[in-house]
Amino acid sequence: MTQNILSARSICVLLIVLPFFVAGLCYFTRISKIRFMLVLITGCLLIAGALALIFLTPFGFSLEPIFGVRVNVMVEALDFFLLTIILYFGFKHRSWVIKALALFQLIFLAYFEFFLVKDGISSTTFFCDHLSLLMLLVINLVGSLICFQAIAYMKNHETHLQLATSRQHRFFCVMMLFLGAMNGLVLCNDMGFFYFFFELTTLCSFLLIAHDGTESAIKNAIRALWMNSLGGAAFIIGLIFVYASAGVLELQQILISGKMENGLYLLAVALLCFAAFTKSAQFPFQSWLLGAMVAPTPVSALLHSSTMVKIGVYLVLRLAPAMNGTFLSHCVAVFGGFAFLSAAALAVGQSNGKKVLAYSTISNLGLIFACAGLNSPQAIIAGMLLIVFHAIIKALLFLCVGTIEQHIASRDIENMRGLYTDMPLTALITVMGVIMMIMPPFGVLLSKWMAIEAAARNLYVVIMIALGSALTVMYWARWAGTLMSDPFAGRFKLERQPLLTWGALGVLCLVAGITSVAAPWLYAWMAVPALNVGYPAPFAVNRGILENTTGAFAVFPLSMVAILGFVVAILAVKKAAGARVVAPYLSGVQTRTPGVFKGPMNRLVKAEARNYYLAAIFGEPRLTTWINLGAGVLLTLIVGGTL
Amino acid sequence: MTETAVYILIGLIAGPLLGGSVSGLDRILTARLQSRIGPPLWQPFYDVVKLWGKEKTVVNVWQAFCAYCYVAATSIALVLFFLKSDLLLILFTQAVGAVFLVVGALSSTSPFSQVGAHRELLQILSYEPLLIFVAIGIYLETGSFKIAGLDTWNEPLLMKLPFLFVVLGYALTIKLRKSPFDLSTSHHAHQELVKGLLTDYSGPFLALTEIGHWYEMVLMLGFCSLFWASNWFGMMILILATYFLEVLIDNVSARMNWRWMLGYVWAMGLTLSLVNIIWLYVG
Repeated sequence: MTQNILSARSICVLLIVLPFFVAGLCYFTRISKIRFMLVLITGCLLIAGALALIFLTPFGFSLEPIFGVRVNVMVEALDFFLLTIILYFGFKHRSWVIKALALFQLIFLAYFEFFLVKDGISSTTFFCDHLSLLMLLVINLVGSLICFQAIAYMKNHETHLQLATSRQHRFFCVMMLFLGAMNGLVLCNDMGFFYFFFELTTLCSFLLIAHDGTESAIKNAIRALWMNSLGGAAFIIGLIFVYASAGVLELQQILISGKMENGLYLLAVALLCFAAFTKSAQFPFQSWLLGAMVAPTPVSALLHSSTMVKIGVYLVLRLAPAMNGTFLSHCVAVFGGFAFLSAAALAVGQSNGKKVLAYSTISNLGLIFACAGLNSPQAIIAGMLLIVFHAIIKALLFLCVGTIEQHIASRDIENMRGLYTDMPLTALITVMGVIMMIMPPFGVLLSKWMAIEAAARNLYVVIMIALGSALTVMYWARWAGTLMSDPFAGRFKLERQPLLTWGALGVLCLVAGITSVAAPWLYAWMAVPALNVGYPAPFAVNRGILENTTGAFAVFPLSMVAILGFVVAILAVKKAAGARVVAPYLSGVQTRTPGVFKGPMNRLVKAEARNYYLAAIFGEPRLTTWINLGAGVLLTLIVGGTL
Repeated sequence: MTETAVYILIGLIAGPLLGGSVSGLDRILTARLQSRIGPPLWQPFYDVVKLWGKEKTVVNVWQAFCAYCYVAATSIALVLFFLKSDLLLILFTQAVGAVFLVVGALSSTSPFSQVGAHRELLQILSYEPLLIFVAIGIYLETGSFKIAGLDTWNEPLLMKLPFLFVVLGYALTIKLRKSPFDLSTSHHAHQELVKGLLTDYSGPFLALTEIGHWYEMVLMLGFCSLFWASNWFGMMILILATYFLEVLIDNVSARMNWRWMLGYVWAMGLTLSLVNIIWLYVG
């Protein structure tokens, strides 16, 4: 047993310290080949480390002093250092909001560390249960794959920008730092550490968004920094209140302190939820995530899938037992449902592919928040599974769009019309991603099914989820169809892409498929042990079927049938390749060129159709103000309702 | 095990058989309403057989893929229905078919197909939440999303969920593409969109979409039958009356546009569902 803890501890240290160390190396390595090898090896080690923890979870430990200095003290010092850096950026970019928020946090952090907390030694500084493990797997697997693809992407990116000197050393340094911070965040049990890693991710995302150094990049990075600093400020105040009401600083003890009648305690939890909402770019803070797409695509992929935005949902899922049965929990559910519906509506009005992806991220995160707020075992499980499946598939889709964008120099869905002719494999993988996003028996839909059944007795939430999922189908199906929209005869020439790109896309696609088919076992081995005490397992697993008294989802049998159907359909395609290919019907005299018919006076007329984006109903100018207003009201209710 | 196999077989066979007959009946009824005699009852089957024998032509090979996936998904949904599975799961599986039909239409560049596909998406957008509301209503009444939960129910659900049955009626009308909701395509290929969604499906693939539609039709009528599941006689009456009403509405109403459809159906669907569900909660 002791040996297990020892090896678990060394793996944890590896997961947190190695990325930091490699980040430093990346910064000082100016030879790109060596840096790439470094990133590759680190990525593989991180994946191996996370996988190894499967056999060791759960465990907890604390750290011995290094060179006679307590680790807590070091982290405290780093905390102040970090805030000073943020303050520096506030001065550099002349943003009074950032300055004010950084000063605010510095003052309260000083109060917290020097005056409030008398005995700062926590018995278990780090704790890893199955929820942390799920997060670790997502962060390291998906994050590393994104870094691999970034190697190929950034080379193209810099060639395209025609930079005199490469800035990739900075880029990979921050990417690695980010992964380290994420690993630290999900592993730590001491809230002081949590706060440090929380702020570190804020700083990393700022640096990554600003990476290209253009005017819009800087502008959006500043917006991301101040919005997330607002979250940081809410976090530190929440922390002070937690300590004042519950008297502990360890996450696991906060959860079992059971002070739900204490108003201050609930206010603290509400403030932590508020911090989570800013991190996860929920309305009205969505603009930082939308602005973040000015950064190179791997950054968006990282922010949207395995890191940054997942911190918020992780935190609220963690805190769910601390607010079980309260009005606060109910409000969080409604807030999440509202975000799910509104973001889906906004996504329908977008023709910009990356914006569709961004709104879909916000939408899915909203659903996870709704699950956390519903706070039944089934809902919590749905939230956890959604984190996993969404991370994998969203990373895949972002990398696909990045690859497409580098090829066609556009991210507009209209310009991806008939992309299949040009980039058959990328287009097919994108379509696969879309299918896994909206169709059973794949994981995202499995989680959504669980969420709806869990929400069925909560009228407001379930109505919003029902409307939102219909909108979701609309914007995804439209995109998938557009990619394939071209007269096509069945013979395709594979496009050329770097090996790393194919590798990342292929592995992500494969992992998404395999985890979907294996979802019942993922549920039984990972998600159920991740539930807190007092949350019984909501389903029985029988031959790959998830079942309880209220519902059943035959994941494995349906997957097998789906594979069979898929094979038959592919055979049909092969057979159809021998069929006569005709030009689409245009209600005029057909010509040999698709899309052109002979009109009056024998003139050639080109027929064109564009997608419906319904901007008059679902456009940003029309909806954003109202949605922000609604979200503001709900947020006020969440924080104010606990007073 | 054998029981499961029998149900699967029933689902697979009942779909086309019942669906084809119902659509034959539909054509006769419609003809009579318009003072015509109409085709024989088996005409839909003749049509499909004839289409099946035609030359295979495609505008894009992925159309074939989509047509097969459509039939696969709709037949699986019906089989799940006969296996008394989870209502939401059935709905989602059915939606897979609907989405593939749309993607197949989008794979053609013809504006008729494209606009038809987008209108079909709007139709899906209109009826999908309604069906989920119906499932939730049934859950609130019986305590289970599984159709098997109705086995022990002695009283027709219709008595408890009358408004939700109306909501299901809206969904049914849209799903069967009856006027005033026949926006994406209709039986008559002489509208402004030619055959809309189905314009570029031809030959055997058009036959497949027809078969898929039969499965969907039986599934939707199956949903209706849940509202009087306690008695075979009542169930038959309910289905026949509902279907006759559908044909009647189809013949007396004009086609509307999607704005009206979306606004009207969501408003009516939400209100009626809310009224019914709140009534259930309070009562």
